[in-house]
Amino acid sequence: MSPQYVSEVGSQSPSPGRVKLLAVDDDQHNLVALQAILESLDQDLMLAENGTDALRLCLEHDFAAILLDVRMPTMDGFETAEMIRSRRRSHRTPILFLTAYRSDEQLFRGYDLGAVDFLFKPIVPEILQSKVKVFVELRRSEERLQRQTEDLKRTERMFRDVLEAAPDAMVITNEDGRIELANSRVDMLFQYSRESLLGQNIRTLIPEWERLTAGPVRDPSVQLEIRQTGVRRDGTLFPAGITRSPFHASDSVLVTTAIRDITIQVDAEARIQQTNADLERRVAERTAALSTSNEALRQFAWAASHDLQEPIRTVRAYAQWLSEAVNGRLGDRERNMLAIIEDHASRLNQLLGALRQYIHVSESGQQEWAPVDCKEVVAAAVATLQTMIQETGASVEWGALPIVPSIEILLLQVFQNLISNGIKYRSHERIPAIRISSAVTKTGWIFSVMDNGIGIEAKYSEYIFGVFRRLHTVEHSGTGIGLSICKAAVERLGGQIWVESTPGSGSVFSFTIPRYPHLGNRLQ
Amino acid sequence: MKADRDEGRSVRILLAEDNSADVWLIEEALRRQSLVFQLDHYLTAAGAVDAVKKCGVNGSPIPRLLLLDYNLPGGQGLEILAAAAANPNLIGVPKAILSSFLRPSELEDAIRMGASCFIAKPASLTDFLRDVGATVVDLLKHDS
Repeated sequence: MSPQYVSEVGSQSPSPGRVKLLAVDDDQHNLVALQAILESLDQDLMLAENGTDALRLCLEHDFAAILLDVRMPTMDGFETAEMIRSRRRSHRTPILFLTAYRSDEQLFRGYDLGAVDFLFKPIVPEILQSKVKVFVELRRSEERLQRQTEDLKRTERMFRDVLEAAPDAMVITNEDGRIELANSRVDMLFQYSRESLLGQNIRTLIPEWERLTAGPVRDPSVQLEIRQTGVRRDGTLFPAGITRSPFHASDSVLVTTAIRDITIQVDAEARIQQTNADLERRVAERTAALSTSNEALRQFAWAASHDLQEPIRTVRAYAQWLSEAVNGRLGDRERNMLAIIEDHASRLNQLLGALRQYIHVSESGQQEWAPVDCKEVVAAAVATLQTMIQETGASVEWGALPIVPSIEILLLQVFQNLISNGIKYRSHERIPAIRISSAVTKTGWIFSVMDNGIGIEAKYSEYIFGVFRRLHTVEHSGTGIGLSICKAAVERLGGQIWVESTPGSGSVFSFTIPRYPHLGNRLQ
Repeated sequence: MKADRDEGRSVRILLAEDNSADVWLIEEALRRQSLVFQLDHYLTAAGAVDAVKKCGVNGSPIPRLLLLDYNLPGGQGLEILAAAAANPNLIGVPKAILSSFLRPSELEDAIRMGASCFIAKPASLTDFLRDVGATVVDLLKHDS
């Protein structure tokens, strides 16, 4: 017969599902018979006509089973089996001997050489098929097992790689903290060799480590970092950021603990806290110094406004008394002189009164905060200014005005001063008209007092809110303190005041009143 | 004040006032009320306290009215009021506080210490003479 061996039997090429079988017989007829019997198993059957060919095939292939004829020339079945067994690759390949003789000696030798079975000629096809089938199945299971093992190894390798690549020291423990696995960052962080840690409790590293409470395993993404203390091998401590997350292994719960050295972070926080504390202390010192100097200034202003009051009152009274006493004996010139003394004394008196009022408004008094109806306040201010309004023919109008949290007396001061300001600084070309309006804002209210007076140049729009700042001569009879009173009052009420004006056609004074005045300006 | 004149007695008034310009004005105000009066005038709080303590002691005269400036050098009107309150001879004698201006808290203190009333020193001469004079007459009327 032509080929000494047939490398493949059947039309199909080898597939993962098929296993390889080897049949060795010096009689080609026997080989053809075996081939026919095993065809129904649909496996890859290789044929060899002698031991040498069989050995060569065994070097190249892994066989699920070898059917070996005992009686062959040159190298008989036993010798061939011995050689096959001696090779590493085929060391464990199951061998079925085919023999015509049932001699005990043969059987012993065969089993001695690792035979798994004997088949006696003439071959009964069903027996051969079923026996070979067992080995085919065995090989398939082996292959499956091997594949699974490799998969498992790959997965584990990947897992270890991931663990190694993690930015933190990772320790995997059981629920009680017994260390099952750790990455190399653990060695670096704690100065232990990894091997020596396996089996120890994680509390060696993190004494405060706590097992996760029983119950449903929480979503790992919600695990928060907690701060505990890490203990290095040499006993030194460091602040550690700990994140634990449990995961269900096949038969138990494992806990992954990620550990970070947060020394730098903690130091930075401490520095920030220190800086903040320093800052707060300095602010407090400054504030104290400022309020001391403020208080001193306030007392000085108070004393000045009162102590100056006395002499000026005396000057005024005596000027009047003198003019009364010498009445009729003075010429026009002398009477004028006395009148000037009286006028100026009277003016100084007014100024001092205004100054006292300003101090009163800006002083932290005990005035009550209450809901104040702005409509009533404006009406009261207008009533107070009735004489002035009548003398000038001024009109004062206002629309809907809100109820706001305020100190009534201060709000009255503001409206009264702004209205009287609008009338005082009137244009000679027009009858003064004052219009008061309000609007709601995000943080409270904004009020506007609009006049049609002489207006203020933009460069003076800050200046006019200072104490005793006047832009005009006595023609417009102001003390120069009204707007500073407004500013002090509005600021005490938590708001701001400003002016927009077109010189020659009028001014709009606006101020804000916050809805929550006690929150201060931070939220405004 | 006919009664006073009819009895031929002048009204004795104790005045604590450091501003002699105001002393003149007060005298003028009383004169314009046609009061016959005798003014025991003290320029300092110490002097006034001393005088107040002695009122009615060893036959010394008891004033019909105390006029006390609130702000005096060397002490406040409150000290004089305290001394007056401690002298039983001055029970029922009106004690008026004079000042151009008083803080509400100061006024409260004064009233608590036994002040009968507060007389503001008005800025204009006319007002001063009228207010001080009228108030003094009123206080004396209630007293007698």
